[in-house]
Amino acid sequence: MKEEHGHRPGKKTYKYGMVIDLDKCTGCGACMVACMAENNISFRKDETNKLVSNFWMRVYKITNGRSFPDTDVCYIPRPCMHCEGHGHHHHTPCVSVCPACATDYDHETGIVSQIYTRCFGCRYCMAACPYHARVFNWWDPSWPKGMEKYLSPDVSPRMRGVVEKCTFCHHRLQRARNKTYSEGRREIREDEYQTACTQACPAGAITFGDLKNPEHKVHKLVEEGKKKKIAFRLLEKLGTNPKVYYVSTKDWVQKAADVYLGEEGKPVTHA
Amino acid sequence: MKLDRRGFIQFSLGAGAGITLSPLPWKLTDDFSIWTQNWPWTPVPRTGEVTHVNTVSKHCGSGITLRKVGDRATKIEGRKGYPVNDGGISIQTAADLQLLYGPWRVPGPLRRVGKRGSGHWENISWEKAIGDVVQKLSDLRRKGKSHTVACILGSDRGTVPQLFSRFLKAYGSPNFIRTASCDDTYELAMSLMQGAAASVAYDLEHAKYILSFGCGLIEGWGSTVRVIKAHSIWRSGNLKERATLVQIEPRLSNTAAKADQWYPINPGTEGALALGLAHVIIKKSLYHTDFVENHTFGFEDWTDDSGRRHIGFKRLVLKKYSPNAVSRITGLSAKKIVRLATAFAKADRPIAVWGRGKGTTSGSLYECMAVHALNALVGNINKIGGVSTLPEVATETWPKVDQDHIARTGSGMPRIDGAGGSRYPFTRYLPERWPQIVNGHKACLIEALLVHEADPYYTTLDSAAVARAFDRIPFVVSFSTLMDETAYHADLILPNPHYLERWEDAPTPTGLQVPILGLVRPVVSPQFDTRHAGDVILTIAKRLGGVVGDAFPWEDYETVLKETIGDKWDTLEEAGYIEEADYTPPVWENAFATASGKFEFYITAFEQAGMKINKDLQCLPHYEPAQPEGNPATYPLILIPVELTRLANGAVGNPPFCMKTLEETELKKNDLFIEVNPKTAAKYRLSEGQDTMLETPRGKARVLVHLFEGIMPGVIAIPKGLGHTAYDDYLAGKGVNTNSLMGVTEDPISGLSATWGIRAKLTRV
Amino acid sequence: MSTTEEKEKTVAEGEQETAEHAAAPEQLEPVTWRFLIPIVLFGVGFVVSLFIGWVIFPKIIYCEKHQPIDFSHSVHQEAVDEGCESCHFFREDGSFSGIPKLENCAECHEEAMGENPEEAKLIEKYVEPGKEIPWLTYASQPDCVFFSHAAHIKMAELECAACHGRIGDSDHTRPYQCNILTGYSRDIWGWNIAGMGKNAWDWMKMDDSARMKMDRPARMKMDDCGDCHEKRGTSNACFVCHK
Repeated sequence: MKEEHGHRPGKKTYKYGMVIDLDKCTGCGACMVACMAENNISFRKDETNKLVSNFWMRVYKITNGRSFPDTDVCYIPRPCMHCEGHGHHHHTPCVSVCPACATDYDHETGIVSQIYTRCFGCRYCMAACPYHARVFNWWDPSWPKGMEKYLSPDVSPRMRGVVEKCTFCHHRLQRARNKTYSEGRREIREDEYQTACTQACPAGAITFGDLKNPEHKVHKLVEEGKKKKIAFRLLEKLGTNPKVYYVSTKDWVQKAADVYLGEEGKPVTHA
Repeated sequence: MKLDRRGFIQFSLGAGAGITLSPLPWKLTDDFSIWTQNWPWTPVPRTGEVTHVNTVSKHCGSGITLRKVGDRATKIEGRKGYPVNDGGISIQTAADLQLLYGPWRVPGPLRRVGKRGSGHWENISWEKAIGDVVQKLSDLRRKGKSHTVACILGSDRGTVPQLFSRFLKAYGSPNFIRTASCDDTYELAMSLMQGAAASVAYDLEHAKYILSFGCGLIEGWGSTVRVIKAHSIWRSGNLKERATLVQIEPRLSNTAAKADQWYPINPGTEGALALGLAHVIIKKSLYHTDFVENHTFGFEDWTDDSGRRHIGFKRLVLKKYSPNAVSRITGLSAKKIVRLATAFAKADRPIAVWGRGKGTTSGSLYECMAVHALNALVGNINKIGGVSTLPEVATETWPKVDQDHIARTGSGMPRIDGAGGSRYPFTRYLPERWPQIVNGHKACLIEALLVHEADPYYTTLDSAAVARAFDRIPFVVSFSTLMDETAYHADLILPNPHYLERWEDAPTPTGLQVPILGLVRPVVSPQFDTRHAGDVILTIAKRLGGVVGDAFPWEDYETVLKETIGDKWDTLEEAGYIEEADYTPPVWENAFATASGKFEFYITAFEQAGMKINKDLQCLPHYEPAQPEGNPATYPLILIPVELTRLANGAVGNPPFCMKTLEETELKKNDLFIEVNPKTAAKYRLSEGQDTMLETPRGKARVLVHLFEGIMPGVIAIPKGLGHTAYDDYLAGKGVNTNSLMGVTEDPISGLSATWGIRAKLTRV
Repeated sequence: MSTTEEKEKTVAEGEQETAEHAAAPEQLEPVTWRFLIPIVLFGVGFVVSLFIGWVIFPKIIYCEKHQPIDFSHSVHQEAVDEGCESCHFFREDGSFSGIPKLENCAECHEEAMGENPEEAKLIEKYVEPGKEIPWLTYASQPDCVFFSHAAHIKMAELECAACHGRIGDSDHTRPYQCNILTGYSRDIWGWNIAGMGKNAWDWMKMDDSARMKMDRPARMKMDDCGDCHEKRGTSNACFVCHK
């Protein structure tokens, strides 16, 4: 049940995406926390079982698998890849399997949505997503007394039994649209729409913008990275056509990127 | 008429048809689905006008912007354009709203009922709470025991710590104690070598070759965001233009992982390596001749006024620290030492940085001096991309304290921790030493302890000794915002508002090379019945009266703050910070306020202070092998506590969001992982996830094993920041407090803790 | 074979039964009445349930609440210069302020301006103690819905009344009908309990001027938003209206 929207001739379209510089990423985790704070993500007393832990943005740690002292470690922040897929059918893995039309690919923005009230929790999308970008609410989100005061009205809190994922902070796009519309503009400037993780990253390792717009930094970084052969995407071979690019000057990291997930929930080692 | 079965069916059919043709089932289905999508227990955040308010984070000195919806703060973001962080944010600050609104807050003044540490409290009024403190303090003062009052704070900079310090001075006690940090050692090194009464400042942004001796630059050394930003500068531009980061550390930390070169060396031998590098630099004449010859003292051999010959740094280093000798100590090959030294000395803008981990521990003074000597050798003192001393924005000075007899006598008494005495004349605070002293005396040495923005009960080494020392203090007052371990074991809690609810000044963050004064301002209304610690101290002083009251001529804390900032207040209030961007450190000619007027390799101050100096070695940076506590036969392994970026290990507990970000190889349910090299593990038949008993001479704990190739064989690493007993289930009861496994290894010259590890053994459970 | 036999047997028994009944002297009711029974029973059930479904059910599913103050939009419209936006304004960031806060009211009503008892209530109960007025929002949508007033008013240049009806001309606040199951206003479902009629999709067929004449607001279900978007060529991607 494919649900795709936005093929409207004559409309200006964007292709929002990200470039993450793994040379700069220090694995500090500020993106993860900024994401949780921005998107009303729930938390529990024990979050050590990462199979059921709720992350929209998760920083994975991979090692080169070599022994001491030739060991090396790299951190890979992983938001939703907002896969475009290839060709006419735009095979976004999660969108194509959702029986509830609870997720769609918006051709005007390139953002894959997730509608919590529509989702009935079958988790096909989680099975379909090769990036583990989707998480299921096994419990009703609850906040310790008083803490619900910090919840943002821009992101709807979820309930038990639904799937959620990174939305590229879509509400920030809505916010930016509000502003541009009230100023009588339609075009959204680069700095008007940035995701929470991009903004929070102390290293400036994340760059966000319109991949199609040659004026945007992401576009330039992708072009430059391709030229220098340091830009790549995760599991490129699957043909999901993700919109999150990575940049690393380390060879082993580039190689690992095609198989980086390893066994579910287990630490990853690559030779 | 009797309705038979058939009739009933007929009626039902009709009813069914009727209902189907009515809106009831369709509307009810719709309503029902809406109901299931909006459970009453799923919170619906209120909307409202969005405003943005700027303030400064008390964690890392970063400028932050709060996004408010109505009167609620909903998000903390890094403030764009703020000189320290320019938009970025540290992980702990990003989670701060969980602390502001969370259940860890102390709701109001609390008085202990029942046994100490039992967690039973009664709510009392501020009037009564302050009355209790005044009563106790005035009794002690009357009895001439004012010097038995001590304060422990997390910092001594800024108006609030200065109020505490002033209070003790007027009241009559020398016992202002600052909790441990690398500043302890740095201040000492800077004052001895450069004659500057300040901590260190690194121009990391402009450095091109950064040689870090175990410094957790990425983990959160100094101001987290600022250093990570500097790292990004190192990684920008063409590959050839990029700076080089070299990390020396026995473990592949985040910093080591981000480094261009990682040199694991035997733990605790950093000083030897620094001297080995100095050896190569001197031998190859790679040092900065102008600086070394004209602006340093004690490099070459020299003769004093009495005609006695003294050896210089050069001879010492050349004699004792050849690459081969250093290789034997550090485990790093002589070839690598030579290569590293050459690269460092030949690099454009090299800098050597010291301070283990996040800089939350002090260390060996000689080690710090040895590393700093490298900076002198390459002549990067007070240069762009080099080292200087931490400047402060000038503020108004307060009127002098008019001491009475009690105050004078009391303040003149020896400090409880022994700092500043004849043995350690230069050391200002010995925060890891006081528990042993308190425990070692029959008499009650501390009658009252006031703790502000510190959690000594949790962060001080050797937890068992600390707990015993606390038991011996009859009156413990905590000013804590959160229910931390010290507050939990206090007799009285006078909660300070969270920093998002109060006014305060934020002095230049540690390590920064430009003077910045930030303004912490209330961005939300007080959530609990709290009172500003500054105001509480003013009230206590006024209620004590006499000279103590007279020392505090201000109406309230806000007046103190405004008057201290003086003319700059309007600028500060409007911009939120004052940055002296055009500040440049003094040129070499006027840079050094030492006895020689130069940078001193040979510390002349020791002898001047009357310390007993037998050998020149005592005045020169050198390596003193510091064996970790424990018998190698019983405890064959070496345990080193390590600091993680995502795990706060200071006075403030790790918020739930940050706990969530811990890796599955760091914490599993309530069990903590230690890092063990697979070679070590094979030797002790340990496998991944193995349940193991970790034992040191100071304590033992059950831990899980994580096999990690990034840790040196024979060394095991344990993360700091867990093992809390206070706070609540989101943090308490998870893992072990590393301090419960550690003892204090004293640095012989400074008395500071030079602890970097302890011997340990692992047994399968 | 056996099936045929059984059938025959059943028929025979049936005949026998009928014969017995016919022979019974107690039989009083006419045959015509008897075959009406099912129809009557069916009819009774049908009518009763229709009555329940159409008349009783709407009364049960919606309870009626009243606004804290009987507010007259028409009086205020005359007093202000900028129409609806005088009180329901856009903020600088493009967000919509919605129902005014007490401070907006207090700008004029710090003290009584007339002798209206509703105004006296406003001042006594809310302005003086500084308590926000607990207005009931007719157009309040579930939390999962994102609605941008800027997109509709500023960009698409729709009139407020296009969705809210002529509420701006009203003299009194209407009762707020609250769905007892969902808690949302009846305005969302629409005033036709069947979800049909001019307040439902017919509304889409009206031109703007006809729509402006409506006393009650238009229906505000997802389909209505979708239909209008479809009609105007606006995207119907999920995230356009969901958050």
